Amino acid sequence: MKIKLLVILVSGLITAGHLQAQTRRIDTVAVAILDKMSTIIGQLSSCSVNIRSNYDISSKELGLIKHTDEQQLFLHGPSQLLLKSEGDEGSRDFYFDGKTLSYYSMDKNQYGQIEAPANVIEMIDTVNKLYGIEFPGADFFYPTFVDDILSESKTLVYLGLTKVDGKDCYHIAGTTNDKTFQFWISDDAFTLPMKMVIIYTNKEMHPQYEATLSDWQVNPSLPDALFTFTIPLKARKVKLMPLTAKK
Amino acid sequence: MQITLKYSLVSLAASLALVLAGPQQSMAQRFNHGGSGGGGRPAAPAYHPAPVSRPAPAVRAAPSRPVETRPAESRPVEERPTINGGGQNIGNHDLSRPVDVHNTINVRNNVTVRNNVNVYHTGTYRGIHPYYYHPYRPYYWGPHWHPLGFFLSALAADAIWFNFSNQRYWYDDGCFYLPQNGGYAVVAAPIGALVASLPPGYETPVVDGVTYYFFAGVFYTDTGQGYQVIAAPPGAVIYQLPDGAVDQQIAGQDFLVYNNTWYEPISQDGQDAYEVVPPPGQ
Repeated sequence: MKIKLLVILVSGLITAGHLQAQTRRIDTVAVAILDKMSTIIGQLSSCSVNIRSNYDISSKELGLIKHTDEQQLFLHGPSQLLLKSEGDEGSRDFYFDGKTLSYYSMDKNQYGQIEAPANVIEMIDTVNKLYGIEFPGADFFYPTFVDDILSESKTLVYLGLTKVDGKDCYHIAGTTNDKTFQFWISDDAFTLPMKMVIIYTNKEMHPQYEATLSDWQVNPSLPDALFTFTIPLKARKVKLMPLTAKK
Repeated sequence: MQITLKYSLVSLAASLALVLAGPQQSMAQRFNHGGSGGGGRPAAPAYHPAPVSRPAPAVRAAPSRPVETRPAESRPVEERPTINGGGQNIGNHDLSRPVDVHNTINVRNNVTVRNNVNVYHTGTYRGIHPYYYHPYRPYYWGPHWHPLGFFLSALAADAIWFNFSNQRYWYDDGCFYLPQNGGYAVVAAPIGALVASLPPGYETPVVDGVTYYFFAGVFYTDTGQGYQVIAAPPGAVIYQLPDGAVDQQIAGQDFLVYNNTWYEPISQDGQDAYEVVPPPGQ
């Protein structure tokens, strides 16, 4: 009788474990890699990186249209950011000096300015929420990056080593309810992100976003003037449209 | 002999306990990082080199990490402010937390559940045609045409007047006027007004098989008895916008707004053009 009870109990535990594994699969190796990456980024006092972004926009007429932007991102301390972007949406620069986020388009010679929180991460949050301004690869710079990924992921798996631009990288893939994502993290001392792909499985035609990060500079010396925006001669001021009117 | 037997039994029991306890502990580490408060962090993966001379964490570190056991004074503390204040909760994640408790799945385009960061563009064009930026060059429809707000002290002799919504309007060469300060000011065309003819230079956009008429920022439909001013039909493609359009940006894309109508820059057959798109909120 006791043996029977034990068998039933053990079977129950195995079944419960199996069901849990079916509903959520989190690979601790993947978590450890992301943890290390997040730790390193969290200890940087400054950095710069080049980002090449490819993204789809759905067209009622032509289906998914692929667009490309190339950006240079500079971060210094908690309150300075410079993002220079060239691509299908033209030339766009974003300067953040700890008080004001300034947008400037050289090819249109127009600019806009928004008062923003003093912290880069809060600034990214705020201006994205209010104005829809997007910062490539912003996820990686969040101090809560790993927790945020885990809070949403149904699956997170380390797939093995592969190469991005000739560099060995840890390949990590995951799923959520509305998207699948993949990260490639460099297999070197700094463990920095090299590539990211997101596929939006909940959207029609499953548009993708892909970002390749290259030429990481760790703790470079960046002058304050880099983050200061001076209004160019004859530049036209434009109003940045808040998103609140959209929905 | 009895002692030996007892010892063997105790050893066997201890071995069994170790065998049974091993996997259980692994599972606890796999699914319950958060509950262990960081104490159950697994060893560094074999594929991964151990951190070498890593600078001390400026903000925090999991208690179980080897660096935590070192005397504080043996590590130089980083004083420089970091770009994000340091990663949080490293090695202390609650992997057992069910994923579906988070109902705030982001409708924006980011990986994480934060409902505030767009990773990047994966939206939909507001119009039928793909967005294609080109600079706005105001167009002027000849010397008799004037932009909104333009003031004239006197109108041409062939200007016609009509009453509409209890107001007397004048119409001349595609411009609508209202009396102002002893003269006449160009105003927006009143929707519903009927004019007998359009000046040369009008465009004929077709939407869903219906031909419309466009001149100087005003859309018309042919009623058979004249051209009636209508609201801009979404999807209409036109090639020229008058002076006075205002650049507005939504999520990094430029739109032009003229007389409360939103135009998306597009390319049509190799020419710069604009498509009428719904305004924000519609």
